[in-house]
Parts: sequence; structure tokens; C-alpha cells
Amino acid sequence: MPAYEAPLRDIRFVLNEVLRIDTFSNLPGFADATPDVVDAILEEAAKFCSGELQPLNQSGDEEGCHFDDGKVTTPKGFKEAYAKFAEAGWIGLPCDPAYGGQGLPKVINFAVEEMVCSANLSFGMYPGLSNGAYNALHLHGTEEQKKLYLPKLVSGQWSGTMCLTEPQCGTDLGLIKTRAEPQADGSYRITGTKIFISAGEHDLTENIVHLVLARLPDAPAGIRGISLFVCPKFLPDAAGKVGERNKLACGAIEKKMGIKASATCVMNFDGAQAWLVGQKHKGMSAMFTMMNFARLAVGIQGLGVAEAAYQGAVTYAKERLQMRSLGGVKAPDKPADPIIVHPDVRRMLLTQRSITEACRALAYWAGMELDIAAHHPEAERRQAADDLVALLTPIVKAYLTDHGSLAANLGVQVFGGHGFIRDWGMEQLIRDARITQIYEGTNGIQALDLVGRKLSVGTGRLLRRFFHPVTAYLETAAAKPALAEFALPTIKAMAKLQQATAWLAQAGLKDPEEAGAAAHDYLRLFALVALGYMWCRMAEVALSKQESEERAFYQAKLAGARFFMAKVIPETNLLFTTMTSGKNAMMAVPDDYF
Amino acid sequence: MAAKTGVPIRKACVIGAGVMGSGIAAQIANAGIPVLLLDIVPKEATNRNAIAEGAIAKLLKADPAPLMSSAAAKLITPGNIDDDLDKLADIDWIVEAVIEKIEIKQSLYRKLIDKRQPGSIVSSNTSTIPLAQLTEGLPEAFARDFCITHFFNPPRYMRLLEVVGGPKTDPAQIARIAAFGDIALGKTIVRGKDTPGFVANRIGVYWMQAAVIHALDLGLTVEMADAIMGRPIGAPKTGIFALLDLVGLDLMPHVDASLAASLPAGDPYLSIRRDFPLLTKMIADGYTGRKGKGGFYRLNTEGGKKVKESINLKTGAYAPSTAARLESADAAKGGLRALVTHADAGGQYAWRVLSGMLSYAASLMPAIADDIVAVDQAIRTGFNFKRGPFEMIDELGAAWFADALRKENRPVPDFLETAARAGSFYKVENGRLQHLGLDGSYRPVERADGVLLLRDIKLAGKPILKNGSASLWDIGDGVACLEFHSKMNAIDPDTLTLIKQSLDHVGKNMKALVLHNEADNFSVGANIGLALFAANIAMWPMIDDLIGQGIAVYKAIKYAPFPVVGAPSGMALGGGCEVLLHCSAIQAHAETYIGLVEVGVGLIPGWGGCAEMLIRYQPQSAKEPKGPMPPVALAFETISLAKVAKSAAEAKQLRFLRRDDGITMNRDRLLADAKAKALALVAAGHQPPKPAELRLPGPSGKTALTLAVDGFVAQGKALAHDRTVSLTLAEALTGGTTDMTETIGEDQVNKLAKQGFMSLLRTEPTLARMEHMLSTGKPLRN
Repeated sequence: MPAYEAPLRDIRFVLNEVLRIDTFSNLPGFADATPDVVDAILEEAAKFCSGELQPLNQSGDEEGCHFDDGKVTTPKGFKEAYAKFAEAGWIGLPCDPAYGGQGLPKVINFAVEEMVCSANLSFGMYPGLSNGAYNALHLHGTEEQKKLYLPKLVSGQWSGTMCLTEPQCGTDLGLIKTRAEPQADGSYRITGTKIFISAGEHDLTENIVHLVLARLPDAPAGIRGISLFVCPKFLPDAAGKVGERNKLACGAIEKKMGIKASATCVMNFDGAQAWLVGQKHKGMSAMFTMMNFARLAVGIQGLGVAEAAYQGAVTYAKERLQMRSLGGVKAPDKPADPIIVHPDVRRMLLTQRSITEACRALAYWAGMELDIAAHHPEAERRQAADDLVALLTPIVKAYLTDHGSLAANLGVQVFGGHGFIRDWGMEQLIRDARITQIYEGTNGIQALDLVGRKLSVGTGRLLRRFFHPVTAYLETAAAKPALAEFALPTIKAMAKLQQATAWLAQAGLKDPEEAGAAAHDYLRLFALVALGYMWCRMAEVALSKQESEERAFYQAKLAGARFFMAKVIPETNLLFTTMTSGKNAMMAVPDDYF
Repeated sequence: MAAKTGVPIRKACVIGAGVMGSGIAAQIANAGIPVLLLDIVPKEATNRNAIAEGAIAKLLKADPAPLMSSAAAKLITPGNIDDDLDKLADIDWIVEAVIEKIEIKQSLYRKLIDKRQPGSIVSSNTSTIPLAQLTEGLPEAFARDFCITHFFNPPRYMRLLEVVGGPKTDPAQIARIAAFGDIALGKTIVRGKDTPGFVANRIGVYWMQAAVIHALDLGLTVEMADAIMGRPIGAPKTGIFALLDLVGLDLMPHVDASLAASLPAGDPYLSIRRDFPLLTKMIADGYTGRKGKGGFYRLNTEGGKKVKESINLKTGAYAPSTAARLESADAAKGGLRALVTHADAGGQYAWRVLSGMLSYAASLMPAIADDIVAVDQAIRTGFNFKRGPFEMIDELGAAWFADALRKENRPVPDFLETAARAGSFYKVENGRLQHLGLDGSYRPVERADGVLLLRDIKLAGKPILKNGSASLWDIGDGVACLEFHSKMNAIDPDTLTLIKQSLDHVGKNMKALVLHNEADNFSVGANIGLALFAANIAMWPMIDDLIGQGIAVYKAIKYAPFPVVGAPSGMALGGGCEVLLHCSAIQAHAETYIGLVEVGVGLIPGWGGCAEMLIRYQPQSAKEPKGPMPPVALAFETISLAKVAKSAAEAKQLRFLRRDDGITMNRDRLLADAKAKALALVAAGHQPPKPAELRLPGPSGKTALTLAVDGFVAQGKALAHDRTVSLTLAEALTGGTTDMTETIGEDQVNKLAKQGFMSLLRTEPTLARMEHMLSTGKPLRN
């Protein structure tokens, strides 16, 4: 089983040197997030993840969750680890201090989430879902609801869920059937079946707060007739003391490919008492605000898995002795050279690492902008940040999770046959990562969101928030001789992205199917340009630190940047070609061909 | 008594200075004809002309403006019927627009008998009283010169003029007033018969009544009714209830009562009219529509917020208005039949209203008009429908419609049966539009002399050149017409390409080019959506190219070796204005609204508008001040305030139009007039202009303009970004680093303007303004 050591130096590099979070000390939360505090938090998180969570990852996978007559038991050690996790205040890290949170920047929390996901993706699901429920209630709940539920969610005493999916509807939530009947006392009775409910039932907390999408009797058909409700497993009194059991139960848990320690439940609501959150029939917009956070969080899961896969692979590649180097013997005292000498192994390791590092920078940038969108004193800056996050969300979700899967696969490949057997834990990463490409909107849906929704907002206003600063930065960077090496390939890729965007706007306007056919390639093209931009910024910092004591660290950054520019970003040319070849290769095929 | 039928109308008089009378007088003045406006002398008045004078004062303030220019206002002379009837001696046309009471009208006519000059035309603007009653007992000579001229409100903007003569009316007089109404007043003339409501109101009032009662019967909300009765059926977007709010709720019972009183027994209208107690109550309570406390909709300003509310048709209570969501309204995009066959309430509603209205129209032929062309024109121009009733039946399919009525056991009018058998009411044969006569045979739709319509040309042939945004047509005699047809006629790269190709083609093969189209608006300007998107993705070189291309193409228009005549109607804004500024001459429809409005979206004219306005503002007479600054100041004022001329006449004052540019009152005559102008220029040996040499003030001029702008900013009349935009404009108009000792060419001004344009496009407030304009249609103040 691979060891995990949190990449604290890399994380600090992005937070402190690239994003310069110290320059935002005027924002709420950031003033408290001094470098010392942040360092301490990150180190504590790293310790907890390596020491408590990672050791439970493989055993949790082997054991899985247990279901017995409506009761769900998590694998051995989870309950204790969860108690310590909550006790240490990790759940409330980014939450509102008014409800017991620490009010720290979201971007710091992103770093913590990354570490949790690297160490134990299944475990991370439980606090992750609580975080989603917290966000929905914090943004859309009444004062009373917030007072009742938020402190418990923040402390971890209770956990949360998001109950969206039903047997007949996953992506298309307009088909939801679960009903909500209004009661005389202003509450509602929920009846229906929800499936795929992560953390729907478990033994970690004394209560579970379900956020449920359901339809009121007078609801319009389709997506505009869905309302959001809060529906606790045990009905609390006003003081938050847990009382009577609500009429809902877990009917079964799913047998899954991965994240086996996360309980994925069928939830039966049988006239369960619930309360409306937000406005009637406006449940989807409430759900979307929480889904957007959740999508970024899923992107972080991909990042976490990718980092874990790289760490496992690189350790093994240094130890495993097979064959001699094509360039001459490297370890004459050993029976064979370590496999890290082989070009193809390096290709795999550097593909993992160069993309993972840029993904980290990109995700944290989005996290930073999320904080700016929430707290900046100027409305225009908030709007700009909000726009950028909206634009980057599908890219972060889809590209980072695709990369998580790719990196996990490469990890197994580096291990060879040992990757395929379970002892080493590498194959678990593939199985765990797989779901991240599917839930919170499949990556196909993310691509559609990007081309169908995000591109057209304000005739491209969201795009401006990316294209303007990035093109301006690249222009300046290209003029700096040492940086031009990185800026020029990125500028080339950017030109392709601009052309692709213009092509898409025209073709997609005339024929939405063209947009749909191009979406996947376009998202990847966009992501690669964004990653190229992050690498330029990282390289700029690294170039400026060549005299520092940590020269090797910064040299490594430049090496990563070079690999990315030489071997990864040219994929933009391919994507541009396939994308602009149009829809016909797919859509002109008659249905009965299949 | 010698009839003066051949004599043009040189002077007119309108008696009755109410809304309609004064509006008619204004339109006569708009045509450049002096007009006397008379009303009664108010009791115990010191100013005996108070009513007419008050009416003229109102004309000057009304919005939309009834007058096209300040010069037109001076052509209206106020007076009163007690003192001024002697002035009728040299009046060629007297229009009576007094209250709809037969005794009052007749007593007025009797007063006119001796005062009017022989052969002058007397007409009534009555909408309800039969001509036969109006002339009853009056001398033959009076009856011979008498007819009905029925204008629609407001007379300047509504194109319909119904002309109705009686058995005694001299046909020559009818022809004379029809020609005047058509050519001078710019109206679409529909010859009605002496039947109740004539043509437009007979069918239009039926439509309104049906739209109200079926909405009530189907239990629709006012929003639902309006969502169907507007654009989906091809009516103005006000639908029915918002339309009633606009025209005044109290008008409805009047119109209904007078129509009902005069209709023959058994007329289908009589069976759909009924009491509408809510309407009666609303009128009694002062809810007469927009002119009163509100109507079916109102703006509730209680609590400091403006909330749009609508009335509940069942309870009469107001509640916040909620947009109607009807699938049928969307289905209407697939055609009228898709709408009326849709199963939802909107589809049922559309079917009930339209099936009634359309079969009613068919049943009235030939009682109300000789042919269907007149009826369709009346509904299109009198009620602003996109299609008249027979055109709507054709869209449904005449046979399908007849069948659908039969299936409901409803009577099928004979004429509809005829059309069902023949196939349709209209068809195109040999490239000509034909209409169905009552005898079941088709005959060509005739156009008056001097009417040339692009739509007729398009039926007859194929374009010489065509792409997605524009086409080039041969309009005969060696003249080509370039038609824009992109969305809102926005000018995009395709438009520019086709202009360039057209110039090449005409240069090689033809004599002259006319820029004209029959859309509502000539062009709303450059496609800013395209520019904004390109700017948002930072494709600066592409935008730079597009501007350069526009400058080059417009320059090619200006220096073409043959005349290029612009023939705009409706809005010609921004890039749509600039294309006209480069034409050899302009023949504009009177209702042309032209202006350089780029500053509204935080930009400046980039396609040569700056240089062309500097040229147009050069002194044209010794009276105008000399020196480099005055033209710059004038151009700066016009462009920086985004002044838009509210008529072609005003465009001349603002110098978007030059002194010898022409104005055509009737839109249908615009293309023929423009073509004639182009051929006249050819005959006169057209030469392209010499490139202008401009003496501009340079930095000192910019300083002066900066001071003025800073003054506005200090007074709070301009925002920080207005200053940025204004100073960018000032830089281009003053010629950059030039000074008054040298001259610079228009190319240099264009280059400065382009640089300015590009720099503004990189600013956040400009991009926000463009986005706001695109999403709301309104300028953003930021």
C-alpha cells in the first residue's frame, strides 16, 4: 500500500508564491490567514491525513460498508477517525464564524480537501456532503433553519446529504417524482424514493440532515416545478435536541466499483416531515448554488487521486529494478537499473506530475476567486470573480477528474503486474477515481455546460474574465527572454483556443448539435490553455528564485513546465482539428448503424 | 362650377383641433403644405383662437412627435370658425374632424357652402357616420366634392388612410385626394365603401371584441391573452389588453356602440358583443388605461418600488404581473396553423379569435371593398398586423381552414369556398403576385405609378449576388439595389463583402447602385454582438481587420465611378448611418431615424463617420463661422451626444442629409424615387468627389473640448467613462497631432478613429455597455 506524504511544499508554493494570498489580507478571513497560521493548518491537516485517514483507505475499501435492516455501519476505524476529524474542527474550517466555523478562506480549505482526497477519498465523502448541505442552507435557508442546522453541521455532530437522483432521473432532474404535501403547520410531508445518496445513512453522527428535491402538488411540469426541502433523520426540537425518528429509511446500499467505504444509499421517504428551503419551485437554482461548490470539490477529488497515484508510482519507479538504461548502465552496483531511468516510465511520471501541479494551481486559483467573489469590497470585482469561477467550474470538474483517472491508470502501469493486484493499493485509485468523472454532472454534461451555457452568458462576458488577463499576461511574459520559452507555446495554444471559441460561437449558434459534438474537445482544449497559463506563472516565480537555497525545488518546477510545454500542451492542436471537423462523423451515422 | 380636379392641393384647412384634427394638420404640414387649423371660439374667451393654439402647443410637446421638424410647425396657422371662414377662399382641401355628431357636422358643412372655393375638396374624418347621412340635404355641388378621409391615430405614424366616396362624389375628386394622400402625405390609400366601420375598423373591432370575449370565456389571464394575441398571430406585441390600455379603455364602448348601431341585422359582430362589467367599472373608476390610473396593467409605485401589476379578469383585483408561459406561443414560430391547432389554452384561444375574424372578413367581400388587396392593406397599415386576414387564411391554408370550420359545423363563407377550390387567395404566377377575385379568377396585384417594390422584384427573379447578410438585385434600367437582410440588418463581415462585390459588379455591368431594403429598419449598425464576443475572447487583430475592412468598403462606395444612392427608411444608426454618409446622394423616407449612436455603447464611429461629419459640417455659406474649430465642435456635439434625427427633415438640420438629398413621404415610392435620383446623377455625368482636405485644430482643439467635457463631468452630467469616450472622440475629430497650418486627409481621421475605437474596446465599461445594449436594448449608464 503506497505511502502518502502531503505535498506541503508544492501547496505552499501555489498559495504563497503564485497566487500570493498574502496580498488579499483586506478580505474577511484572509487577515487571520497569516502565513504562520496557514502553515500550521496545512501541517496539521497533512499529519491527520497521513496518520489517520490514509491507513484506513485500503482497509475501508476491503471491508466496505455494512447494511443490516436499515442500519449502515461504516468500516472499522471510520467512526473514530470521523470523531477526531470533527473534534479538530476540520469540517468548519471555511464556515461562517456565526455558526461556529473558523471563517478561513475557501482556498485554504481546497488545500485541506486535496489532502483528504489523496489519503482517503471515501472518508472525504462524509464531511464533503455536510459541506454541501451547509452551503445550501447558509445561502437559502431561513434564519430559523440556519440557527437550527448550521452549528450542528459545522461541528460535525450532524452530517448532510443531497437527495437529487431518483431511479428514473439522474442528469435530467425535470423528471423528479418525489412529492411534497403541504401541512397545516407550514411543514411538508415528503414521499418518494431517492437513489445513489452518498452518506444517506451511517453510524458516524447522531443525526443526518437530508436536503431533498421534490415536487409540490401545484408545481409546473419539468425543471421549473422543483422545490428544495430540509428533512432530518431525527426531528430536532428548537434547541437542536434530537427527538423522534422521521419517516424515512435507508432501503439498501449499493455494491460499487469504488469508494466502497462511502455508503451509497437508497433512501425511502414515507411521508417524512420536511421544511421548504428557499422559494417554492425554485429548488433547482438553490440546488445549483450548492452544486457549483460541489463540482469544484469533485475536481479537487480528481486532483487528490492524481497526487496519490503519482506518489505511489514515483516511489515504486525509484525502487523497482528492471532492465538497463538505454543510455548506458545507471546503477552498476545493482542487478538492474531502477525503472525510472526508462523514457516511457518518465513519460508517465511527468505526465502525472506536470498536469497535477498545474491542476492544483488552477483549482486553487478558482478557490481564490471564490473568496473574492464572496468578500471583495468592490461589486465589480466580485462580479468578475463570480464570472470567472462560473467559467472555470466545468473545466475544473471535468478536466481534473479526467486527469485523476488518467493519473491513476498511469500509476498502475508504472507498477506493471503489481499495479494490477490489490496488495499495492494502486488499482483502488482507479476504482475510486472513476466515480468522480460521473457524479455532480458527468463530464459530458460539464462540457455541455461550458459550451451551451457559460460561453453565451453576456455574449462572452465570462470568457472575458479569462481571456483578457491571460492574453495580457502572456503578451508581457513573451517579452521576457527567460519566460518566453513557456509563454510562446501557451500563446500558440491560446490562439487555437480563440479560434476554436469563435468557431464554436458561430457553428453552435446555427446548429446546437455542432456545439454538442465539439464540447468535449473544446473543454479539454480550454483546460490545457488554462494549465499552460498556470505553468507560465509558476515558471515565472521559479525563474525569480534561482538564487534561493531551494534552487533544486524551483529547477524541478521549470522541468515540469518544460515537459508540459513540450509534451502536453501540443495536444491543443489535435483537439482543435478534431473539434472543428464538425459533427457529421457522429451525427450523420444512421441510428440503425448502432 | 368648374371643378379644379387637376389642380394639386397647395393649401389645406383642418376644422376641429382635437387629437385627430391637429394630428392631421401636423401631417399636412409635414408634407410642406400650409394648413389652417380651426376650432370653435371658447365661451367668454379673450383669445378667440385658444383651442387651435393650444392644440399646436400640444403638438410640439407630444411624444412620439406628430411634427417632423420645427419648420413644419410654422406651416400651421391657428384660427376659429367664427372669424376665419373667409380664409377658405384659397383652400384646396378642407378636412372636417369635429365631434361625431351628425347635426354638428351638417351645420358646419352648411357654413362652408358659401365660403369654400369652388372645386375644393371637403372631407370628413368620421369613423362611424355613413357618408350618405353626412351629405343628406346638402347641395349637389357640395356632395360632388365631398368624401370621407379616415385617418388612423396617430396620423403621422399610422400609414392607413381610408378614402370613401358616395354615389354623388366626383371620381376625379376622389382620385385627386387619393393621390395627395399617397404622394404628399405618404399614406397607404384604401378605397372603402360607405359601410359601417369602412374596412379596417369593421374587421379590426371584430378582432378586438373577439379577443376580449374569448379570453374571458377561456378563463385566460391578461398576460396569457396578450402572449397569444401579439406577435404569435402577427399583431403588435401589445396583444389585446395592453393595446386597450394604450388606446384608452373608454374608446372601446364608443366604437362598439356606434358600430353595432349601424350594422345590418344578422351581422356576426352583433353575436359576439356583450356586456363586460369589469370594463365598465374600470372606466367608471378612472382606470381608462395609460392615460388614466392604469388599465388591465398598471405600475404600482406604492412602497417606493415600481411593480408591474395586472388585473384579474374574474375578480378585478390587481396582483404582480407574471409572465405567461404557453407552449402554443412558441409553437407559433412554426406557423399560424401550428398555433391554432395547439391543444393548450393559447392555441384554443388563437383558433377561436382567428377563425371568427378571418371568416368574418371573407364573408364581407365584396360588401366592404372591391378586392382582398385593399382589405389586407387596411389591416396591415391600420392595425399594424404583419399580415391581413386573407394573407392569414393563406398561411393556414384556405382549404384546411374551410374544412376546419365545417368540422365545427360553422358556416363557410362563399368566397372562402372559392379560395379553397382555387387553392389560395394569393399566388405567384410568372413572377407576379396575383390575387383572387370573387369570380374565382386571379388577377395581378396592381401597383400605382411610381411605386417600385423590392418584394415584387424578388418574386420575379433571382439576385445577382447573395450571401447570408445581403443581396444584390437588378431593378431595371441599369440600376442595382443592394438589400441588407441580416438580423436587424446589422452590418457584419458578410454585408461588407457583398457591398464590395456589388461595387465591382455595378462598376463593370451597370450604371448605378441603390442601397435599400424593406425591413422595418434600414440598419441598426454594426453587429456589436460579434464585436463584443471577439473582444471578450481578446481577438484584437480580427476586430482591427474588421474595422479596416469597413473603412475600405465604405471608402469604395464614396469613390465609386458611378452614383450610389442610399434609400433608408426607419432606423439607420451607427454603421448603418455611416454607410449612408458615404453615398453620392440620399433619398430618404420621411420616417428615417438616423444617427451616430456609438457612444451609447462606449465606442466612437470607426467606419468613417467622424471624417464624413467633419466634411458635412464645413461652412456651407458665408454666414457660417470660419476656422477649423466650428465643424469640429458641431461634429463633436452631434456624435458625443449620440443625436438621432427623429425624421428625415431633422436629419437635414443635423446634416446627416445634405441639402440636395431627397425625402419621400410614401415608403412604397422610396425605391422608385431613389432609382430616379440615381439615373439623374448618371445623366448629369456623375463624378466621384475629390478627397477632402481637412484643416483641423489639433491638440489645442482637443484641449478646448476637454475643458467642455470636464465641465459636464463636474456638473454631474457626464460620467468618468463618458469623459474617456468623449476625449477619444475629440482626439479623432481634432486630427491628433495636426495643427491648423496643415491639412490632413480623411484617411488620417479614419486611422485616429480606428485607434480610438480599439482602445475603447479594451475598457471594461465599454464592454459592459455593449453587453447591456445587447441584452436589454437600452444604454447602460456606467
